[in-house]
Amino acid sequence: MATVNSLLGVFFDALLYPFRTLHPMVGLTFVSAIAAVLMLLGYKATSNQPAVEAVKRKIAAGLFEIRLFNDDVVAILRAQRSILRHNLTYIGLNLVPMLFMLVPFVLVVAQLQFHYGYRGLEVGQPTTLRVTVAGATTGEAPEITLEVPAGVRVDSPRVWIPSLQEAAWRIVAETPGAHELRVTVDGQIFTKRLVASGRIERRAPERLAAGFLNQLLYPAEPPLPSGAAVTAIRVDYPSRDVGLFGFETHWLIVFFILSVTIAFALKGRFGVTI
Amino acid sequence: MKHRLPPPWQPAMPGRATHATSATGCWAVMTAALVAGLLLPGSAEAYVGPGAGFAFISSFLVLFTTMLAVVASLLIWPFRMLWRALTRRTRAVPKIRRLILVGFDGQDPQLTDRFLSQGKLPNFERLAKMGCYKRLKTTFPSISPVAWSSFSTGSHPARHNIYDFLDRDRRTYLPVLSSTKIGSVDRFLRLGPFQIPLEKPQIRLLRKSKPFWSILGEHNIWSTVLRVPITFPPDRFYGAQLSAMCVPDLLGTQGTFLLFTTRPAQTGFKEGGLRVPVTMQGDRVEGVLEGPENMLRVGSPPLQLPLVVDLDRKSQRATVTLGRETVELALGELSDWVPLTFNAVPGIKVRGIARIMMTEMNGHFSLYMTPIALDPEKPAMPISHPNYYSVYLSKLQGKFSTLGLAEDTWALNEKVIQDEDFWRLSMDIDDERQEMFWSALERLRKGCLVCVFDGTDRIQHMYWRYIDPGHPADDGAQSEHRDAIERLYIKNDKLVGELLDRLQEDDLLMVLSDHGFASFRRGVNLNRWLLDNGYLSLKEGADGAVEWLRGVDWSRTKAYCLGLSGMFFNIKGREEQGIVEPSEVDALKAQIGAKLRGLRDQEHDEVAIVEAFDTSKLYQGPYLENAPEFVIGYNRGYRTSWDCATGVVDAPLFEDNTKAWSGDHCVDPRLVPGVIFCNRPIDAESPALIDIAPTALQQFGITPPKYMDGVPLFADEPGSSR
Repeated sequence: MATVNSLLGVFFDALLYPFRTLHPMVGLTFVSAIAAVLMLLGYKATSNQPAVEAVKRKIAAGLFEIRLFNDDVVAILRAQRSILRHNLTYIGLNLVPMLFMLVPFVLVVAQLQFHYGYRGLEVGQPTTLRVTVAGATTGEAPEITLEVPAGVRVDSPRVWIPSLQEAAWRIVAETPGAHELRVTVDGQIFTKRLVASGRIERRAPERLAAGFLNQLLYPAEPPLPSGAAVTAIRVDYPSRDVGLFGFETHWLIVFFILSVTIAFALKGRFGVTI
Repeated sequence: MKHRLPPPWQPAMPGRATHATSATGCWAVMTAALVAGLLLPGSAEAYVGPGAGFAFISSFLVLFTTMLAVVASLLIWPFRMLWRALTRRTRAVPKIRRLILVGFDGQDPQLTDRFLSQGKLPNFERLAKMGCYKRLKTTFPSISPVAWSSFSTGSHPARHNIYDFLDRDRRTYLPVLSSTKIGSVDRFLRLGPFQIPLEKPQIRLLRKSKPFWSILGEHNIWSTVLRVPITFPPDRFYGAQLSAMCVPDLLGTQGTFLLFTTRPAQTGFKEGGLRVPVTMQGDRVEGVLEGPENMLRVGSPPLQLPLVVDLDRKSQRATVTLGRETVELALGELSDWVPLTFNAVPGIKVRGIARIMMTEMNGHFSLYMTPIALDPEKPAMPISHPNYYSVYLSKLQGKFSTLGLAEDTWALNEKVIQDEDFWRLSMDIDDERQEMFWSALERLRKGCLVCVFDGTDRIQHMYWRYIDPGHPADDGAQSEHRDAIERLYIKNDKLVGELLDRLQEDDLLMVLSDHGFASFRRGVNLNRWLLDNGYLSLKEGADGAVEWLRGVDWSRTKAYCLGLSGMFFNIKGREEQGIVEPSEVDALKAQIGAKLRGLRDQEHDEVAIVEAFDTSKLYQGPYLENAPEFVIGYNRGYRTSWDCATGVVDAPLFEDNTKAWSGDHCVDPRLVPGVIFCNRPIDAESPALIDIAPTALQQFGITPPKYMDGVPLFADEPGSSR
């Protein structure tokens, strides 16, 4: 999984590199178009196209039937029942391609989240670094230190929250760019990437312990080693919204609308029935 | 309080998550539920791609549209009912709940009797026992467009104005379609290489009078009318209708098949087909399919689609590409309907459908294509009422043939296809029709359903040679289709059986045919007879073998034949170059009528013409002046010859018919009555086709209008029934 994430990370970094200084909509549109084409090809390959086409025709027939027999209430209700039945069949037919593409698309969306989901820290903007320590809660603070590189300033003393087994610092980036923070717990050293930049690039708010779900959903940085003294290192990045038709909204919605719209627009060209 | 960072799908900062969640709430129901169930218990909103995305978008739209349509329909329903109640003509009290009229075009009483006596039609027999089985008088002439027009209007041709498939242009003497006028567009706005039509081509039904379903509609009684001949363009009434006979193909003809071939052309096809040369290099064949005229380009060049065929001779298969459609075919295999999309200009397409079959690929290559029918899903002309009815049917059951004369009889006549291919084509069309019929019946809770099945007519036309020993068209070769007619009667019997099983109380069922059938052994060229008897003259040096009477000297011609049954006089003041004074017409009728009555075929020592019927004595009505002077009553075994029908003069008076089209009904109508089966006894002793319309009205409690020539078949009202 780590290898997959690593490869995907490199791939998406390269794919989105040309768009790093542009408005997020540009890169999102590009990615959505590629995703739309892949969706269509994947959907075509994994769905039962004749069945999808047949059921869609039946649904359309039902709609026409409502219009045709609009003097006959019984006929209208019967047509409605038929439409609902065929709609369920349609949804059922879509489950198969969905299952086929669930994992690849979750991986893709996860990658995109770390590019488009967060704004970078601005120079001088404080944020919180939190380190969760493994082991039973004793209330005693472990031996834990933070080293920051040049360009990053620690703005507060360490705060230990016994109930969460968590140590926290307020830190401030003083120069733009990617910085590596070093946390030492009981002699073990862990790193965490901190990005202070307005560009579109990969930002990981969390670095978690190894595990399938953690790696699936938080692929931006390698997992923490198993059995380590630390289970999570977190940096709070502010979220990023993307403008669409004058509304600021989550990038995923933009991606959803664009990719599905483009897919619908191209379905004829690719000979796909959706 | 336990703090936990949201997963990456949610914004990191608390407070923003709510914003995103609300905006995505609706689709999250679909997608997140699935992901959450599978991966992320607790919280998840994820776009997982096409399956869920497409399913959600499409399903949501469907549900939304359905609800909207249902709610709108239910809200409007009371007002519609009120409006209908206020605008209906009378308070008709129906005697029946549903009237089901099934037409088997050309079902012959003699064959029916034979198969009944042999026990091959148990369901027809069952129906006869429930009610009745009788002969049904046909019309003069006994031709489908005439007969079905009389069926629908309850009147003689002098009232509905249909006398044949063809009429003549009185100015040019050239043939015109008798039932429909399709106008041209003359006004355009030119924009460089493009032109924009400034008017719509007029498409007008020339059948006069009012069909009974229109009258039923005026009384709020719904009718579904499927493929009744002479309904193009469709009637507008309270009901649904799919047009039939005279619906053209995409080329604007009544059905032109295409043969793409590498064989050098000897002669063109005589009827209904075009030979299209293609080139073959190795295993690749290339050609061009020319479609209809492109009215949006200056000069109206034909629309084109490239045809590419890649042959795999080893497996005897080929990949046929027509535009963007690709079809895999084995040699001799008939394809399903192939959509053909012609691009007129960017954004405007003309769509048709056709079936194809590779008939040879070793040595020479030939590919047969049925006439390109209008795509029922996107018809280029109005073929149904309401206009979306054909779209609805297409969605319901898939593509189907829309061509008026859907069965490609010409291709079999020209031996481009074989008996088996024609049978397959015809039965597929029959199956399409049956599917339409059953779905319409299932949805008809009250009202009228009319459906005509043409298969009986076409199969008898093309396979009669196999049941008439010694027929000139029967070469004696082995054929699996010698019993084709019998098989179709049995198939129809099965349909009747299923129909009887589905009948409800208060249903009235009539199964009928418009005419019977007879053998067509010998053709008679009456233009030749008129020439020989001095009633028709050719121009000096003219070639009498040219079609459509183009060699005729009209200044010396008194009478001429055109179409399948009519003889016209060249009357002064009516025809452009008429020479027969109106005052001479009766005398000329008497003279020619006497000569034609009992006209003998000396070579076979048989009577060829029983009688020439004076149309002014057959019927009365406002359109009598459009009638031919005579309807020719040929004897069984005879019919107008192929040459005479196409206006060729210089051909033998009598000749053998050696074409596959070997049975016909264009004879003395008294010799080829139709049949009627009914699930109730009818009182009329000699029912006629024109009685059906008034009967339909009477059964729904409506007094038939006085202009109807027919009378109801049931004597439950004083004065009704023959």
